[in-house]
Amino acid sequence: MELNQECVLLQNELRKFTQQVILEKVDELDKTCSFPSDNIKQLAEMGILGAMVTEDMGGAALDLMGLVVSLEEIGKVCTSTAIIIATHNVLFINPILKFGSDEMKKKYLPPAATGEIIGGSANFTTNEITTEQQDENVLLNGKNPFVLNAEANGPFTMFLPTSEHKKEVSVFIVENPSPGVKISKNQNIIGLKAAGISEVIFKNYSVLSNTVIRKGHEGSAVLRETQDMARICFAAIALGIAQGATETAIKYAKERIQFNETIITFGMIREMIADMTTKIEAARLLTYNAAMKYDADKNYCRAAAIAKYFTGQAAVEITTSAIQILGGYGYMKDYPVERYFRDAQVINVLGDLPAEEKENIVRETIG
Amino acid sequence: MGRQGLLKIFIPEEYGGSGAKIMDMCIACEEIARICAGAATAYAVGALGSGPIVHYANEEQKKKYLPKIATGELLCAFALTEASAGSDAANIQTTARKEGNYYILNGVKQFISNASVSDVYTILASTDKSRGARGISAFIIEKDMPGLSYGKEENKLGIRTSVTTELVFEECKVPKENLMGREGMGFIYTMRNFDRARPGVGAMALGITQGTFESVLDFTFKNDLLNNQYIQRSIADMATEIEAARALLYATARMIDSGAKAFSKESSFAKLYPSDIAMKITTEAIEIMGSYGVLKEYNIEKRLRDAKITQIYEGTNQIQRVIIALELTREIRKREKGKKWN
Repeated sequence: MELNQECVLLQNELRKFTQQVILEKVDELDKTCSFPSDNIKQLAEMGILGAMVTEDMGGAALDLMGLVVSLEEIGKVCTSTAIIIATHNVLFINPILKFGSDEMKKKYLPPAATGEIIGGSANFTTNEITTEQQDENVLLNGKNPFVLNAEANGPFTMFLPTSEHKKEVSVFIVENPSPGVKISKNQNIIGLKAAGISEVIFKNYSVLSNTVIRKGHEGSAVLRETQDMARICFAAIALGIAQGATETAIKYAKERIQFNETIITFGMIREMIADMTTKIEAARLLTYNAAMKYDADKNYCRAAAIAKYFTGQAAVEITTSAIQILGGYGYMKDYPVERYFRDAQVINVLGDLPAEEKENIVRETIG
Repeated sequence: MGRQGLLKIFIPEEYGGSGAKIMDMCIACEEIARICAGAATAYAVGALGSGPIVHYANEEQKKKYLPKIATGELLCAFALTEASAGSDAANIQTTARKEGNYYILNGVKQFISNASVSDVYTILASTDKSRGARGISAFIIEKDMPGLSYGKEENKLGIRTSVTTELVFEECKVPKENLMGREGMGFIYTMRNFDRARPGVGAMALGITQGTFESVLDFTFKNDLLNNQYIQRSIADMATEIEAARALLYATARMIDSGAKAFSKESSFAKLYPSDIAMKITTEAIEIMGSYGVLKEYNIEKRLRDAKITQIYEGTNQIQRVIIALELTREIRKREKGKKWN
């Protein structure tokens, strides 16, 4: 699958940036669980924060493929940075860009495109919220333990089902900072340590009607599109992780000498590398295929579900093998593979539960 | 653990222990790892360190160390691995040269569990480099011997409640009475000791898996997921694999305890399968629990991180497969040879 000229240029630019700028900071960010504000600022200057925003709103007007290639490159070096960018672009910006009112667009898109605000999103599957109608507005109480980009302390989107089986969903923007919203604690998560994922507590937070993007059946359609795009973007990051872990493992295996030979000469190592590279190649084709379908305005739901399911699992399996190839060293924080492994676990379960992912594939396949 | 009598498990009765049965060690390792595999590692290292003393030390050495190890007065550990000797364990560079009544040790042991907190170490050093594996000897080292110090403490993915540190020997003066058995036999003692100790790693892996399974079952029940066939498939496979692993482990432990002479292959089975399913099941557990699974407070992600080490230490699972394949090759060669004679 050939990338177009624009994507190749973007890929080269990001490869250079991630290697020269992000790489040396990534261990420290992971260790200290610090939000990578510097990385984000520099990526904003490259236009990545408004990747798909139209030019009149200050965006780069890339297609999804451009964002996918970017996320793969960033994910290869710093998964936390990649997930921040994906959340901001797809879970926060896109619902506004595609379904928001003109007023909303004017308010949020220009500052989001330049990175002046970093938008977040409350994980759809972990809402522990009660709602109550009060005049025009809806009062929220409860919490969500998994709000992406919460630490950036900007506005975030929320998808709240209002009927069984996600048939009706309220999609709205939570104004933040604001009274009634408390970013409660930086969660202790196995990976994505620097992504600023936090628990958010709502205490009589009032959802104003002008922050509601869509509700009811229309809201359900927004959620579906958002989830499908997110699947493709998470797959792209998982792909970056898998690629980074495999490159590290191959480099190590070519240098490590045991039994008077480099361990890359041993069949059991070679078999693992064959499996890892085959899965990466398949994952890349699936992920690019889904993005291309989206960009060509074709039905991309099935392709997106398959890409996320396969690539998420592949990243988990590949990073597990990468640790195995490095042996005791792979288990230590001196090498990046244990971080890739921890990050892959989170990417694999972001969004829908894996059982639900499989269900999506079946539904889209059997009709 | 000492007060509970758990350290007696490694030691024969005549030295104040409770019989040095592999089965007992497996049950203890499994139960401790069900709660914390880091604690189980710190525990099982005692078996790895005391095993060579139990089986290959002389009477005087046994009397000196074993009763105190049984009570927990002396904690013991084991040091083989070096930077250039991981899977290739015979490639150790640490040397022991004889000078009068002493051996002088030089070298660095890496990734040593319980180093810096132990009192006694069984360590391997080369007394004759020209003889390769047959030039390796085993020594009993005490923590206050001059020239012994601790190097880098490792920062690990999992088993973070156990300490992993370098053990550094610089002109370390060890009395010649501390040589274990005969010079040049250290590597053979070690391999035999590993054969006895490996089921302990399998037991730890099983404990991690059992603990994980109990949490997953609890989570799926509370969230009303048990009528979902995706979940049913997962938990049914988990339960079956756990049962199979336990049966394999116990069969191996019984075989060793019954006095079998050769059990390398079975001992590798008992490490390989439980550790592979530990990784498979902890990974799947996270998938079942989704975003909650990756949060620390649900105590599943810790088990996943801990499970990974069981595929690596005491011989990676690749090395276990090599051992199994070599044993199978040996068996078939023997059979073919037998046919020729008949």
